[in-house]
Amino acid sequence: MRSLTAFRMVVHDRSSTAGALLGVVAIVFLVGQQLSILFGLLNYMSVLVDHSGADVWIMSPHVRNADAGDLVSGRFVDRAMGLEDVEWAEPVLIGNGLFKTSGGSFESVRVVGVRRPRLAGGPWEYEDADERGLLDFESVTVDRLDLAKLGNPALGEVTEIGGRRVRVGAVTEGARGFQGTLVFAPLEKVKEISRTPPGRYSAVLVRFRPGAFREAALERLRAAMPLYTVYSTDELSRLTRRYYFINTGIGGSFGFSTAIAVLIGIVIISLTMYTSVLGRARDFAVMRAIGGRRRDVAVVVFSEVLIITCMGLFIGFLLLAALLNATSGSSIPSYFPAEVAPILAAGTLLVSLAGSLVALRVALKAEPASVFH
Amino acid sequence: MSVLKLENIARDFSDGRQMRRVLFPTSLEFDPGELVVISGPSGSGKTTLLSIMGLVLRPTEGVLSLEGRDVTAISDDETAGLRLRKYGFVFQQPMLIEGLSVMENIALAFAVQGARLPRNAGTRAKELLDSLGLGETAHMQPRLLSGGMKQRASIARALIKDPAILLCDEPTSALDAESGQAVMTILKRIAVEERRIVLVVSHDARVFPYADRLIKIENGRIASDTSERYAEGKVDT
Repeated sequence: MRSLTAFRMVVHDRSSTAGALLGVVAIVFLVGQQLSILFGLLNYMSVLVDHSGADVWIMSPHVRNADAGDLVSGRFVDRAMGLEDVEWAEPVLIGNGLFKTSGGSFESVRVVGVRRPRLAGGPWEYEDADERGLLDFESVTVDRLDLAKLGNPALGEVTEIGGRRVRVGAVTEGARGFQGTLVFAPLEKVKEISRTPPGRYSAVLVRFRPGAFREAALERLRAAMPLYTVYSTDELSRLTRRYYFINTGIGGSFGFSTAIAVLIGIVIISLTMYTSVLGRARDFAVMRAIGGRRRDVAVVVFSEVLIITCMGLFIGFLLLAALLNATSGSSIPSYFPAEVAPILAAGTLLVSLAGSLVALRVALKAEPASVFH
Repeated sequence: MSVLKLENIARDFSDGRQMRRVLFPTSLEFDPGELVVISGPSGSGKTTLLSIMGLVLRPTEGVLSLEGRDVTAISDDETAGLRLRKYGFVFQQPMLIEGLSVMENIALAFAVQGARLPRNAGTRAKELLDSLGLGETAHMQPRLLSGGMKQRASIARALIKDPAILLCDEPTSALDAESGQAVMTILKRIAVEERRIVLVVSHDARVFPYADRLIKIENGRIASDTSERYAEGKVDT
């Protein structure tokens, strides 16, 4: 009956319900939207590592992120292959170049050289053509989202990167990095573009044999090359994300805007719930007079908050889903992991309850004696 | 043994600077089957007395006994429980909760502490509403009722738990003469036929003819108390 009373109050007090609902929706939508962009950017930060298909990245000493390492010797490919746990080891070369558009202008691109025919560390999803497009020495890929920026090159179109002739062999989907446009090309072509000395690479990717005990295999690999950085893919991904998150100010910026969104929600919820409870003070006094305890009044107030929060969560997530749907496939980085939704919902509920504490204090102050004139 | 007994009950209030006594030591006993009217001018202490008897205000001094048990210093939760089980309240304004239908307002009196409604609660509420002439209003919102109808609905809310004691605070002051008469007739019937203690605080002289006992308070003291039939031409139920 207390929950029913709360529900009836929520339905009856439409203006205050709408206000509190707005607060909850603001929290869910604004925080959710901020988080989706943050997770989208986080994905960009470690996109090459996450989609490499390797178990281990061997890089130069003291590496703090996947994009900032010195070159390593190609002999580590052979040294890694010498271990029985290793199924394959492939070099990757990452450099920069200027992509010449059809209009004659230039766009800065990050070129990722992968060795044929395995193409380890190469593209993982194609919009047009497939990995066979990279088997040719001159072929490069461009990403669908970067087509406009690169002058909408057609498949087979010949252009230049870093003054070297290349031909667009495939169009990738979702291959965008935090540092800009990603263009994949055969290893030899990237060596030319970036003018890298022979036998030097950005990293060596290693894949363990199926059934290999990964931790032990990783330790053996580290022992075999003690002066170099040997990271598991997960480690390097985390390290890279953390590096950008902290050092670029993204963490602080998103943390601040998320805190502002939460604060706005709390203020809206507090004010509207306070007004609502103030308007119901007499009813709470009546409840107390006819036998209700303070905790019964608290149950009604918290039930109201719970009902409004559930409604707000529903509307907020609906709006968020619409936004994510609208931005999916666009150049706006947005990704919302499913496991974050219950955390956001629980957080919003906590914030709503916190916002209702002032109102609860007012409600609990309702004295049963006040119902007598 | 009286159902409700006050022994030297007094109450002080602070006005911020000093304590002021609004009810001087008062001893009273009440038994079922009578409608008691407590009357007096504004500020005489009658509402304070009613609040103490209704367990919504603690006395500063004295002993309050309910069915032989000293309830003067029991906990807040215990007083709430006693109010729930033993008391019915009718306020000056009907104070029905907006948003709840008439029936739900009545049900709330049963289940305000979260207990499940008894199986016969619906039937009992319907019977009560029928007996109070509100049979058609069960599912209506309070705002759609007239003042008299709301007050009768609040009586139904007070009676649904079958309370031993019914406390009424100026139940007719917000009503026109006809509605006030109807409400007092109902209260009288409840006291006499259903053998309950019905205490009515009022300064409205129109309710005096319904009283089995009239207690007058002035300046925080009992000025007169008669259990005799108060007036000639007293209304029979």
